[in-house]
Amino acid sequence: MPHPAIEIRDLHKRYGSFTAVNGLSLTVEQGDVYGFLGPNGAGKSTTIRMMMSLIAPSSGSIRIFGMDLNKDRSEILRRIGAIVERPDFYNYLSARRNLELLGRLSGTDVSKSATDRVLGMVGLGARAESKVKTFSHGMKQRLGIAQALLHSPDLIVLDEPTTGLDPHGMVDMRDLILELAADHKKTIFLSSHILPEVELTANRMVIINRGQAIIEGAVQDLLNAGRLKVTIETPEAQRALTLVQSTPLGRHVHSSTEATLILMLERQEISEVVALLTGAGLALHAVTPVRSLEEYFISLTREAK
Amino acid sequence: MILTAYRVEMSKIFSKWRTFIGFLALAVLIPIVVVGMSMQGEQFLNFATAGLKDNFEFTGHLLNGYAVSYFIFASLYLHVPFLITLVAGEVLAGEATSGTYRLLLTRPLSRATMVNAKFLATITYTFLLVVCMAVLSLSLGIGFLGTGEIFIIRQQITVLQADDLLWRFGYAYLWAFLAMATVSSVAFLCSSLVENAIGPIMTTMSVIIVMTIISAIDVPLFDYVRPLFFTNHMNSWKFFFDDPVKWDRIIPSFATLMLHIVGCFVATHIIVRRKDILT
Repeated sequence: MPHPAIEIRDLHKRYGSFTAVNGLSLTVEQGDVYGFLGPNGAGKSTTIRMMMSLIAPSSGSIRIFGMDLNKDRSEILRRIGAIVERPDFYNYLSARRNLELLGRLSGTDVSKSATDRVLGMVGLGARAESKVKTFSHGMKQRLGIAQALLHSPDLIVLDEPTTGLDPHGMVDMRDLILELAADHKKTIFLSSHILPEVELTANRMVIINRGQAIIEGAVQDLLNAGRLKVTIETPEAQRALTLVQSTPLGRHVHSSTEATLILMLERQEISEVVALLTGAGLALHAVTPVRSLEEYFISLTREAK
Repeated sequence: MILTAYRVEMSKIFSKWRTFIGFLALAVLIPIVVVGMSMQGEQFLNFATAGLKDNFEFTGHLLNGYAVSYFIFASLYLHVPFLITLVAGEVLAGEATSGTYRLLLTRPLSRATMVNAKFLATITYTFLLVVCMAVLSLSLGIGFLGTGEIFIIRQQITVLQADDLLWRFGYAYLWAFLAMATVSSVAFLCSSLVENAIGPIMTTMSVIIVMTIISAIDVPLFDYVRPLFFTNHMNSWKFFFDDPVKWDRIIPSFATLMLHIVGCFVATHIIVRRKDILT
């Protein structure tokens, strides 16, 4: 049984009276694409900084591939590639030169073919010799991925990797994450507040808020939990609203317009609503149940507030 | 690992234009001074010796390369620290400003190794700047004006023969390296405390100015603190031009400057080790 890629136990980080991370525990198995979700200020970046030993935990433990971060820091960092928050580089150097210098510090091959390989993977092959100060934010983000992959790490920690990318870039990033996990057997720790990104790439996830894990599990299990957002399209939406509100289901009304009625329902309640409306002679053009992580995320983080 | 980190730091330092400001300033200033002295140096010497000509007769080749080099050394000695801090003040703070601490410290490189490598690179830059000053002033001075004896007026007048000078310059420049390494160490320490590169430059220069002013004020109260100021010992290079060399004054100054270097280096280690990288 291999060691988990990441084991965090009862992690705390306090700045004076402010607690940024409050007893966080999580386990990431090797081969997982693990979504690390939370609203802004939830403690995601602080946790990642502690995982990368950029800041010291106030208490708690972090083990990576079974090794204690306090004792085996160098060995652990040799096996991790990371983007931590903004992709900052030495702006006065070219993309290739940045990779060469960082690669040397990681003790890896920094030959032209090695840097070309990662620059090509992130679509920066043509700009290898350009100084980073001429790069857009999105290009720096791509270069951030390149430096994280350069030394072929086993664990890749990505903190908001699609920030600043255009839609094509976001799709490319998603494909790259899936490819790294499926073809190269990498473990990916993906921090994000963009929920579809996690929904489409991760197999497991945790949602944190105020430095605490609210819920952790398989993405599909979490998607199947809780209520569905059901959009009913009907030309008589106001009448439909009145009808639903006259029953106990009325408390599940989310919103309505002239042509739609949106309810938050359990799966078995959908047929009750449909029967109620069709029984009253309403024409229903569409009934669309959506299980979105976004809804789930918002409901959980709202509850936590 | 330290060697790799050192090479990386040297690459970074010598990829920045500000690194060359110091070399450029010396490459412009020293030739100007040498040419100026070769053209109108006699007038300068006449002015400098005006008060002595009633009692002494000056003969020989007084306007020579060694005399000009000595003059350049004494003139630039207090300005070079500014050129040093331009680089030394940015070595750590620059990483914070540009957000690249995160890149560096997520490599399998200990913080201690990073500090050692950066310190070594800073000292190397300092050494190269002093070597540049030495080579330019001596080669241009001797090239334009030849060699000759120099006379030094301090508490007493010392006349040093041409064949007795080169080794003294050698020691003086080694001392300059030690003094500038002290300035680098102070700037390096300041650089670890803040997250912008201007702060350490301003702070180091302020420290030098304040210490120099206090050292210059002849008040008994300052007699106790004056020996502790590194600025007070930076000028001990002059003792190499005494005959005989005043080792009894040089050795305590050497110890004080070394103490400052080691103190700043150790303090920087402690600060960086405890630092939370939040930028």
